[in-house]
Formats: sequence, structure tokens, C-alpha cells
Amino acid sequence: MQASRARLFKEYKEVQREKAVDPEIQLICDDSNIFKWTALIKGPSETPYEGGVFQLALVVPEQYPLQPPQVRFLTKIFHPNVHFKSGEICLDILKTAWSPAWTLQSVCRAIIALMAHPEPDSPLNCDSGNLLRSGDIRGYQSMARMYTRLAAMPKKG
Amino acid sequence: MDSDSIANASVPASKDSSKEFVKKKRGNNRLAKLKQCKMDARREQWLSQVKNKGSKEESNGIVGCVSFSSTLSAICGRENRSLGSREVRSRGDEKEGGLGVHTANSESRVDNSLVSGVSGNQESRKSWSQSSSSSSSTSTSTSTSTSTSTSTSTSTSTSTSSSSWCCSRSASEEEEEDDVDGDDGCVDDWEAVADALTADNKQHQPNSEPLVEMDPALVDAAPSELVNKEAALGASEMEHCGEVKGSVENNRAWRLDDAFRPPCLPTLSKQYSFPLNSERCCAHGAVTWPCNGIISQPSPCPICCEDLDPTDYSFLPCLCGFRLCLFCYKRILEADGRCPGCRKYYDPQNVEMDANGGPPQYRLARSFSMSTRF
Repeated sequence: MQASRARLFKEYKEVQREKAVDPEIQLICDDSNIFKWTALIKGPSETPYEGGVFQLALVVPEQYPLQPPQVRFLTKIFHPNVHFKSGEICLDILKTAWSPAWTLQSVCRAIIALMAHPEPDSPLNCDSGNLLRSGDIRGYQSMARMYTRLAAMPKKG
Repeated sequence: MDSDSIANASVPASKDSSKEFVKKKRGNNRLAKLKQCKMDARREQWLSQVKNKGSKEESNGIVGCVSFSSTLSAICGRENRSLGSREVRSRGDEKEGGLGVHTANSESRVDNSLVSGVSGNQESRKSWSQSSSSSSSTSTSTSTSTSTSTSTSTSTSTSTSSSSWCCSRSASEEEEEDDVDGDDGCVDDWEAVADALTADNKQHQPNSEPLVEMDPALVDAAPSELVNKEAALGASEMEHCGEVKGSVENNRAWRLDDAFRPPCLPTLSKQYSFPLNSERCCAHGAVTWPCNGIISQPSPCPICCEDLDPTDYSFLPCLCGFRLCLFCYKRILEADGRCPGCRKYYDPQNVEMDANGGPPQYRLARSFSMSTRF
């Protein structure tokens, strides 16, 4: 309990200090609860998610950093490894391959990397996974781009 | 807190009056503006400092920020600080006496002594580094000014005495700046200066504590000139207080460096060439990222963010070089038992533990550089 709190305070300070270092990621701590964080990440360039800003909810367990934070997308995203409805993310470092040396910042970086490199063989979004597995890159990209425009970009007008 | 409130109340009024006085006295607009600007900056710095005590950078920055016209002299003063400190230390007895007398704090006394000290300084200004009389008067006056803060502060005897020393050092630096600024013999706003000085005492107090509490071995390991100088100052603090705070400090070579060593002489790293070199080689690139700088500076456990203690430093559970504190290691062993650095399972055979309490950094550094060289 105490260890996780100290560690999160440290990470908070780090985030405040290095705000400008990683413009792709914006980590915001909940005002009243340091175990609840929100992250805004920019869709990586040269992907269908480019130009979108995706919101993540991070819930940190009390055993952190021995246990990984629970991360899910709050913004809808069409991605083979993200559950379309719940926003759950299938990422090994959030499950079995977690290491206490990781931080919330590095988790966000890993999620950006996952957006750029989808893994269709362990899909949470079967439609997206099937498109990719059948080789319909164009179909996957146009679907993903459409949802990025619908959900992750500011509304026009 | 008494002096705090007094200073707080008197700063704006005295500043204003002195400002007007200065303007009337000599119609030198530029100088007056400069002085006002300086005081404003100082006051703002101080106010912000009161708001968040303990921010080190600000108190460092004030020296550079305040001395508009006298940057050069300030730099000079910083270079020759060791020289000045030697002189002051040689008069340590007088100063101790002064401290004892003046602990009954009265604002007027502080002001008087300040004025006298500085006016004594005026006669021999621009040559403060050579004439010992001027520096001695400076030291006495500043010691009285700091004594108020000493009497009001409520920490232990060690830290107060050392902080007062630190303050007197910084205050004398301030005065030298003032000397250059008010070069035309104008002593009318010394009240404001005194206020600023007490403010500066407040600012420099947090600065002194990390110096004292720094682990001597770690300071030693850091090869940079700056740390060296700071450490030397820290050593002089110890000496001045007449305390033997851990015999380790007194054995260090840099204690001698403090006063007599010109900056052009070779640094410590050459004297202790072997262990330091290996440490540096280890710290600078051979090891993977979690270990960077662990040896050269006090660093926290990457898992729980508590500072590593010497036992933790001598503990290397995994060949990948990922260090962590023993508590976290135990917790990880109870959980999934994999090294956070490389995700391999911890192998009890590979755990390196320096059990005999020898110089752990030395041995670890060697084993490090050996293993990484392959």
C-alpha cells in the first residue's frame, strides 16, 4: 500500500517534470485518488489512427508495481487487440509479461506501439482481426480510420 | 518565525522609503532603477521561497538573478569562495564568540553590525579577496545577522550550526555584490539590505542540509568538479562546527582541497584512479538503463522508490544488473520471482551479496566492469 503510493507519487512528479518530453502522451492523475489516472495518447502517424486523440483509463492496484495497472480505452477504437465495446486491451505486458520496472508512462508508450503494430492472431475485436488475417489491409484501415474520425477527432462544425 | 514576520512587515516600507531617499539624494535615475529592480527581484524570490521552502534550484538561482551589474564579481566570488572561507575559518574563534554574544536577537543590533561591517568593507572594497581585515569584518557582521535565524530555528544543534555557517557564507557573497552595486558610498538603504539578508538566510537554509547529509562515499564517487567543491565546502562546515561527524569525512583528501587547493590541480578521480574509473565505466554505458547512475549518486529503488541503503547497494540479485532493495526483492520472490529488468526467473546461485561488510562499491564496481566487458 505505502510502497505503491510512494511509487505513484514519484511517477507523478516525473510526469510533471517531463511533460514536454513525450508530446504523444498526456498522463493526468485523478484529483482525489492517485490510483486512478487518465491518459490521452495521440494516434501514431502513418496508421489509420493518425490525427486522433484516444483516452485511456488506468486503474492502479494496491499491489502496484508488482501487479500491472488495468488499462482500457475510453475512446472507441477499431483495433484487433482492443475490445470494441469495453475498451479492454489485450497486451502481454499488461498481463503476464508485466514487470515492476515498467511505469504508467511506459505502459502508454507500449499501447501506442500496439496501435501501430496490431497483433491479429490474438484478437479481442474479431472483425478487425479477421480483416487483417484475411489480408484485407485496406478494409481494416478504412474501418479504423472511420472510427478514428468518428470517435477520436473533434467534431466538425 | 519572529524574524520572519518582522522582515515581512519591514521589507516594503523600508524599501519604498529608501528608494525615494535614494532618488532625492542623487538624481541618478539609472542606478536607482537598478537598485529598485534588484530589491524587487530579491523580494519576489524570497516571497516565493517562503511559499515553497526547500526548493534548491531557486536559492541557487537567486545569486545569478540578483546580481545584474555585478555578475562578473559574483562569479569571481564563487571562484574564490574557498579562499574566503579559509580566512573566515582562521577567525573561527572570534566568530564563535560573536555567535554566543549575539544570540539574543535584536534587529537594531543586526543592522548596526551590518552597517559597520559593510562600511568597513567600503574602505577596502574591490580588493576583498586580499585584505583579511575586510573579510573578517564581513564575517563577523554576517554571523550576527545569521544568529537571529539560528536562534529562531528549531532544528537540532548540528544542523543549525552548520546552516548558520552556510548562511554566513552566502550572506557575505551577497554583501560583496552590494558593495559593487552601491559603489558610490550610499549607505542609506542598509535596512532593506538587512531584510534581504535575513530573507536570504531563509533561502539558503534548505540548501545546507543536503550538503551535510550527503553520503560521503557517494560524494567521493562522483567525479565532477562541482560536487567536489560542494563536498569541500561541506567538509569545511564540519570543521568549523568543531564536530567530528563521522570520521570518514576527515579522512577524505578533498577536505584538504577545500582551502589550499587551487582549482587547476588534478581532481580526486585521479588519486583514486582504479575504483573510480571502473565505477565510471560502469555508470556511463556498460550497464543497462536501470543501473545508470546508481553508483555515482544516491538513487532510489526503481520499484518502491525508497532510497537504497548500503546493504542494498551491495546486493545484486540478477546478472542483468538490475538493482532493487531487499524488501522489493523479497516481495517479488514471493510473487512471481522474476527479475524486473530482464523478466528471467531469479536464480539464487547468481545472487551476489557482500556479506563481510567490506567496501561494497569497490567490489561491485569491479565485478560489474568485468562482467560487462565480455
